[in-house]
Amino acid sequence: MNLWLLLTIAIGFWMAWNIGANDVANSMGTAVGAKAITPKQAAVIAGIMNFTGAYFFGKMVTETIRKGILYPNRITDPWVFVYGSLAALLAASIWLIFATYNGLPVSTTHSIIGGIIGYGIAYAGLGIVDWGKVVQVVLSWILSPIFGAIMAYIVFKAVRRTILAKEDPVKAAKVWAPVWLGLAFVVIGTMFYIKVLHGQVLYVAVIKAGVPTGVIVGLISYALLRVYVNRIRSGDPYIDVEWDVFRKVQVMTASYIALAHGSNDVANAIGPVAAAYAVITMGMAGIKVPVPKWILAMGGIGIAVGIFMYGYKVMETVGKKITELTNTRGFSIDFSAATVILLASWLGMPISTTHTVVGSVIGVGLARGVKAINKGIVKDMIISWFVTIPVAALISALIFKGMMAFL
Amino acid sequence: MQVWTRLFAKSPFKPLIKHAEVVVKTVETLDKAIEACCEGRYEEMRRLAIEVDEIEDMADRIKEELRDSLGPRLMMAVPREDILIYLHMQDKVADSAEDTAKWLLVKTSKLPEEVKPLILEMSGKSVEAAREVHRAIIQMDRIIESGFSDREIEKAHEIIGNIENIEKEVDELDTKLMEVVFKQEEKLSWAEGLYILNVARTLSNISDKAKDAAERIRVMMSK
Repeated sequence: MNLWLLLTIAIGFWMAWNIGANDVANSMGTAVGAKAITPKQAAVIAGIMNFTGAYFFGKMVTETIRKGILYPNRITDPWVFVYGSLAALLAASIWLIFATYNGLPVSTTHSIIGGIIGYGIAYAGLGIVDWGKVVQVVLSWILSPIFGAIMAYIVFKAVRRTILAKEDPVKAAKVWAPVWLGLAFVVIGTMFYIKVLHGQVLYVAVIKAGVPTGVIVGLISYALLRVYVNRIRSGDPYIDVEWDVFRKVQVMTASYIALAHGSNDVANAIGPVAAAYAVITMGMAGIKVPVPKWILAMGGIGIAVGIFMYGYKVMETVGKKITELTNTRGFSIDFSAATVILLASWLGMPISTTHTVVGSVIGVGLARGVKAINKGIVKDMIISWFVTIPVAALISALIFKGMMAFL
Repeated sequence: MQVWTRLFAKSPFKPLIKHAEVVVKTVETLDKAIEACCEGRYEEMRRLAIEVDEIEDMADRIKEELRDSLGPRLMMAVPREDILIYLHMQDKVADSAEDTAKWLLVKTSKLPEEVKPLILEMSGKSVEAAREVHRAIIQMDRIIESGFSDREIEKAHEIIGNIENIEKEVDELDTKLMEVVFKQEEKLSWAEGLYILNVARTLSNISDKAKDAAERIRVMMSK
């Protein structure tokens, strides 16, 4: 195998490792914080679901990142893609490690896009960047937490109305929780049909795959809740709803969000790898090349390894620090964020998992669901929208220039 | 990672409940001191009155800590101002108890027999009021837990109603006590009269402040 390909794969794997190590808390933090699962269980669920999401649902975003931001026809030497991909991956990883270390809520997605823009500009100047596309992408970053917030606000209000406000919240939860799970699986089933079975028409996918999956999962979870929720009754309806029903439901939504995370974020690591791969093996650039499955698998494994080696520890800390989150809130956050992430991923928008989840937390907070949220994070997040691209681009450009000087 | 450890701030309600516990303890200790006073155990009364002062200090410390932790950057289920005002009111309950304790300490005086049952009843009612405040703030936490469900709000209204009733009762006792004192003006020295009236005044302040705190809970739970 070509040395350059090996190098790109190695760095892509490292990037995937970073995603697993640092970003996993963004998707599993609520479930661990609300004590629905232990950090160990979170690691196992996140590992499996991230891999599944990456492997089955991970293609479309890859295409967008690779092709959308730069005009490929301006790159005359296809090998620029190889060096550029390396530079972008390195830059994104460096910036991520720096930012995480300093507690900044930066996004893997934003970093890698910054890295790609950076090497593009270093190679052929500002004209190579499709700025219209960049504006679109940045808009999607601003919109995704807002959508997450709106959705979480509505979901929590609905949970409140249909369950918490009822005379017997536990009884209401046993009926409504399966409905929510069913809805999640309508989305998952639809995605599966489109991505894996290559269905073309959305409504056909919804009817043929989404709705049946949702109904089946809804019925199964209804049956399971009937059997298992009856044993321990503390007598306090809210404690019972949180612990007996939603703690179990949250295990499912945690898997849901891990799946979404994998499908969305794997592209950040393997998108550039796929670009380099196409050039090295086929000498092609800028032509639509399908991402080989094994590269997706490698990305998925990289994320899983990152989770098991380091993300696990991060989740332990998160579990200890978050003490105020309850399961209905965690559920509302996870359900909303995962749905927004999956839909964005389906639309090919490279959004940030982290920011969407933070947006969802804010949404539940606006619905007066969380006792206290630190608003300072929102400011940090907004700053990160404007800082990440330039900084990652600068690092990437420097690395790219350096490589070109030596080669 | 740090995003997650920073995103969720600590709930102000746990320390508020803790503060309420200490407030209840202040008033309970005062009640014991007054009992000792009525039974003529003045040594014990002094000891307990000093204890009231110490417990009140503890309440103050919790109050300050909580205030410091409630930065303007927090987004909460209940507005920060409401919580700060409530905390202030709740703390006033302990302050009033401390005021009474101060009177017990500045002068050791034998209370007239006619006054004793009234003072004892007022003191007992004050303890009740403080306990109801404690219950009310626990209920407020539960209201948020339940997502502001009407049923839980109803329960809080009941507790607040109790506090208002207690306050009214204490007020009536206070009036009665004043009448008793002035009926005996011949027998009492001015200092004794001043002493008794002020003990009663500060005692009735306790449930008065409890009522103010309850009013704030009403504001907090409004949707």
